[in-house]
Parts: sequence; structure tokens; C-alpha cells
Amino acid sequence: MGGLSEISIIEVKALTKIFNGKVRAVDEISFDVKEGEILGFLGPNGAGKTTTLNMLSTLLRPTSGTATVNGCDILAEPDAVRRSIGYVFQDPTLDLELTGRENLDFHGRIYGLKRDVRQQRIKELLELVQLTDRADDLVKTYSGGMKRRLEIARGLLHHPRVLFLDEPTLGLDPQTRRSIWEHIQRLNQNKNVTIILTTHYTEEADYLCGRILIIDFGKVVALDTPDELKARLEGDVVSLAFSDPGAIGKIRPILEKRDWVRRIELVASGNTYATMSRMMQMMRGMSGGVGMGGMMPGMNSGGIESGGKMPKHVQQMLAQGMPSENGHSDPDGGSKRMNLLVDDGGHRIPEIVKLITDAGVVLESVELHKPTLDDVFLSVTGRNIRDERGSLVEMMRRHRIVQQARGRRVRG
Amino acid sequence: MVQPLSGQAIYVVLLRELKRYWRAKARIISSVAQSLFFLAIFGLGLGGFIGRFGNISYLSYLAPGIIGMGLLFGSVFSGVSVIFDRQFGFMKEMLVAPVSRTSIIIGKILGGAATASIQGIILMLVAGIMGAFTPTIALVVGAVVAVGVMLLITAGFVGLGVAIGSTLNDFHAFQLLSTFVMWPLFMLSGVFFPIDVVPFPLQVAMLFDPMFYGVELLRWCLLGAGSSVLGPLGWLISLGVVSGFNALMVSLGTYLFSRAQV
Repeated sequence: MGGLSEISIIEVKALTKIFNGKVRAVDEISFDVKEGEILGFLGPNGAGKTTTLNMLSTLLRPTSGTATVNGCDILAEPDAVRRSIGYVFQDPTLDLELTGRENLDFHGRIYGLKRDVRQQRIKELLELVQLTDRADDLVKTYSGGMKRRLEIARGLLHHPRVLFLDEPTLGLDPQTRRSIWEHIQRLNQNKNVTIILTTHYTEEADYLCGRILIIDFGKVVALDTPDELKARLEGDVVSLAFSDPGAIGKIRPILEKRDWVRRIELVASGNTYATMSRMMQMMRGMSGGVGMGGMMPGMNSGGIESGGKMPKHVQQMLAQGMPSENGHSDPDGGSKRMNLLVDDGGHRIPEIVKLITDAGVVLESVELHKPTLDDVFLSVTGRNIRDERGSLVEMMRRHRIVQQARGRRVRG
Repeated sequence: MVQPLSGQAIYVVLLRELKRYWRAKARIISSVAQSLFFLAIFGLGLGGFIGRFGNISYLSYLAPGIIGMGLLFGSVFSGVSVIFDRQFGFMKEMLVAPVSRTSIIIGKILGGAATASIQGIILMLVAGIMGAFTPTIALVVGAVVAVGVMLLITAGFVGLGVAIGSTLNDFHAFQLLSTFVMWPLFMLSGVFFPIDVVPFPLQVAMLFDPMFYGVELLRWCLLGAGSSVLGPLGWLISLGVVSGFNALMVSLGTYLFSRAQV
């Protein structure tokens, strides 16, 4: 972290956004961002990450609470706030009918940069993101990665003190992702730009961020450095996989009694399709008209969460992604994996295997690893972030979110 | 809702509109051609049947109305394109900039007015070549005045388009807009027939069509004072109505745009 200081460049106080009078997308969150740091918002889709950024960038008016950015209040001085920030949105916001250079030029002009400054910076930034040779082609001919790089370059053109990056590498190939990470680090170090990025890739948050804010259902559930977060999960993670779905029910009470087992977490089964079809049945049963056909197109990332009119168990299932998690819905729900957090995991494995074998349960595999951010996420939210990505369940939830945002009836 | 205006922001949004217009050659050609089909087929076809209209040909009578049609469609759609800006995300890029929404929308309105008026100028030249206007010194002066009139008319209708585009967030509303707003405005503007030959209810409807006054003004510019059905001071009345409509629609569009969620 180049010039990390103790000065707060962003101060957020009880910021809240309620959509349509009932959907709490962001629920009284408070935190500070230090000047020069890279802060990551980690959370599943719809957790409230984008909504928070939209409020901090003055695009969206908070329902209550407030924040200051670079010393300016987001409610009282929106223009001053917007002058000190750059925002690279999650969805593309380029004008496809203009060239790359013209897109940058538009930005430079609207931020009031003088001609020579503008041209100089455009030249530099095009080189930085390696688009110099394509600068005069229409953006509609660019690849996804090129568009993303152009947007990041554009976000920097006016030398913002704070840069918001909303899912900067979503949908990019590993190579492009890596090069964008390097750009982001270089910017942070060389230009001392404070960066807030949202992501649902734990490895991205781990690699880039000085501190990570885990956000779930619009609330801050953890805020610390990646190392501190991982250190909270003292011990090692032992992952067990079983071939029989009933195994966990048998083995869990046995393991729970051991004092060296700090906690047990069930990992959602990979069988998303089965869960989906079960959910579809339930949905059909209650609404009589939510078909798959209607939910594929037009998904968009609303930052809205929870609070509909569905029966409790369906809501819970939608919210949690999987039915069998934490044991508090369907006990035979098909989870075949569990994570144990244990002290000195390597030496406990033989004992664990023995306990399982004695119980007459067939073990499929055992894995041992140090806690990762994935484990941290699972422990603070009770969900596995990997299952939140692009699964059918997630699509289902987004569909519901979009429907709610549009004020249509989801339920008959 | 008073917001500070930024000349630079207005200019850059206007510049974008012009660039995009100039790049969409196919759109320019097709909309000019559409207007010309009306002019050629109705002007020459129906004109042969109707004969002369007082002291002018039917083609001459029709030409200012067809120019008006180009202005009307061009400007309303230009205003409604705020929907597309929102859909394709570019709106966010404009709204997160440290300039007022008023500056952005004024740039948009000026840009839409400029591009629709360019369309009108092209149509005016082509109609002139087709022999719709009597070539005199007065015509040259009239044509110059007509350009000013075009900007005035189109700015109002871009404002209407922006107001509609800021309220409806849906592509599908386009068809409705076209059928229930654009076509009635066009058909009732006195393009094809003068107001004094139609039944009373239709006359009333025409008098409520702001485009009717726009076409009156264009006729006055291009065909001379004798062409007005509103009497010798017809131009003044029309200018008043068009200016009032303009002020109303630009304010309404600006207001609704400023309020709209991203």
C-alpha cells in the first residue's frame, strides 16, 4: 500500500437504502476507508455492494444515513463528491458508436480538462491499458477485455482521489484478469489513488485488497485485513466428502462432541440441478406461473435483497441458496460435504477417519488446508460463496429481485 | 430545481449527438427518403387529382408539412433516445460526471434539435429542387428564417421526447408512442389539407396540435404571408404558440429527466 495513512478519505455513517418501502438493500452500514488503501467489498450478488457504491457516488439517494467522500458530504455536496471520484461500473457504460479515443475525450471534456492535459493523459492511459493501436476504432468492435480496460482507463482520466471499481474482472479470462489486477496495484501505488472494489471472487479480494469488508444482506458482517480474517479461523480446515447423503446426519453428532472440533460447517452440495428442480416445483405450487422461460433473459444486477411475500421456507431457501445448509431446513437435503475447523488438523485426520469408519459411514475423500477467504466467507455468512456464482439458484434469486424491483407480482 | 449550467458539458453532449448522427448514414438516408416518398407520391400523385390550391400547387402546399414531418419524427425520437442511453449504460457515465443533469439534458436537447433541423434543411433543399418553392429573394430570406423556426420547433419536441423517455423505461413503449403520439401530431398538423375544409371537431383537434402552428410558420417562411389560414397575423400567433410549447416542453423534459432514477 503505497502511502497508506491514517486519514479517512471516506466515512460512512449508518447508510441505508430501502427500495419500494420494504426491500432493505443496504442496512445501516458504517465504515471508514483510509487514504491510499485498497478496500474490497466481498459478498454474493445482491448483497448490497453496488447499491452502496451508487450511494457513495451520489447516483442514488440514501433512505437514511450519510457519508463523506474526500471530506464532502454525499447529500450536501454531490458535485464535489463526483469530482473526486472515478467510477467503473459493473455493466458496460461505453458509447459503442464512438471510438475508444472519443470515449476518453468525452470524459475528459465533461470533467473540464484542458485540451493539452486531456490529450496527454489520453495518450498515457491508452498506453497503460495497451489500447493505443485500437484507439481510433469504434468501441463496438472491441473484445470484452478491451472494453473493460478502456473503462478503467476512463475512470482514471480525471485523476480521482478515490476510484470505485464494481466487479472489475467479472467475466474476464484469467490472463486479462491478472493484467487488470496489476494495473490496479500500479495505480494505487504510483498515483496514491484510494480504491474500493467490489467482487465475489475471494482470490481477487485476497490478492488485491489491504482490507476486506464482507457484506451480506446489506449488512457489514466483517471488516479486516485478509490475514486477520483468516486468523480468526484458528486451526485448519478439514474437508470431508461422503458418497451417501445420509452420512452427515450420522457423523455430525459424533464429531460435535469432540472438544478439538471448533466448528462444523456443511457445504452445499454441488447438485444444483436437483435443488433447482425442487425449487421450481415449490414455486409452481405457490404461484402457478413462474416458468423458466421468463427468467433467462434480461437478468440484471439489481442491488436488492430479501423481504418478499413468499412463504418463510422458500425465502430462506432462496436466500441461502441450498436447502440443507446449517441443518435448518431440509435434513435429507443432499449435502455430502462438511468442513471441520480443528486445531492441528494434520494430526487429527487419523482420528477423524477412525471415528467415521467406526460409525459405519463410507468416507469418499479428506482434504486438509489452511483457512482461505472462502472459509471465512462460509463462517461469517453461513454460505459458500462459490455456490453463489451464476448457479441456477442465483438466477432464480436474481429473477425474484428483478421482479420485485419492477413492482410486479411474483406470487399469485 | 435550479442547477448550475456548464457550457463545456452542454457542448460535449451536443458534440456526441452530432457525431452519432453523422455516423448513422443509413438512418439519415432512410428518414430523408421516407419524407421524400410522401412528397413525391402525394405531391405529384394526389396533386394531379386536386390541381391547384388557390394560387399554389399541391406540391408547394405539401412541402412545408413534409419538412415538418421530418422535424417532428427526428426530434421526438432523438429525445426518446435517453431510453437507449440508459439501456446501453452510457447514461451512467454522464450522470456520474460532476455536472448538473440540467446541463446534460440541455446538451441533449440542443443536439437533438440540431440533428433534426439538419434533416429539415436537407428536405427543404430537395423540395426546392423539386420545384416546390418559387425562387425569389424573399424565398432566400424565408429559408434562413425557416432554419431558426426549425430549431425552435425541434427543441420543443426533443423536450417532449425526453419527457416521455424519462417516464417510460421500456423499448416496447416505442410502438405506442409512434401510433398514439407521433402520427396524430403529424396527421393533424395540416400537412395534407387546410384547416378550413374539415369538419368542426377535426378543426378543434388541429388547433390543439402544436405541430399545426409549426407547419404554419414554415409555410409563412417558404410560401409567403398569403399562405396562412390564420389571417395576416397568423405568423405571430403561430410563433407565440410554438415558443410557448417549446418553453413548456423543454422545462418538462428537464424536470422529468432530473428526477429519473438511473
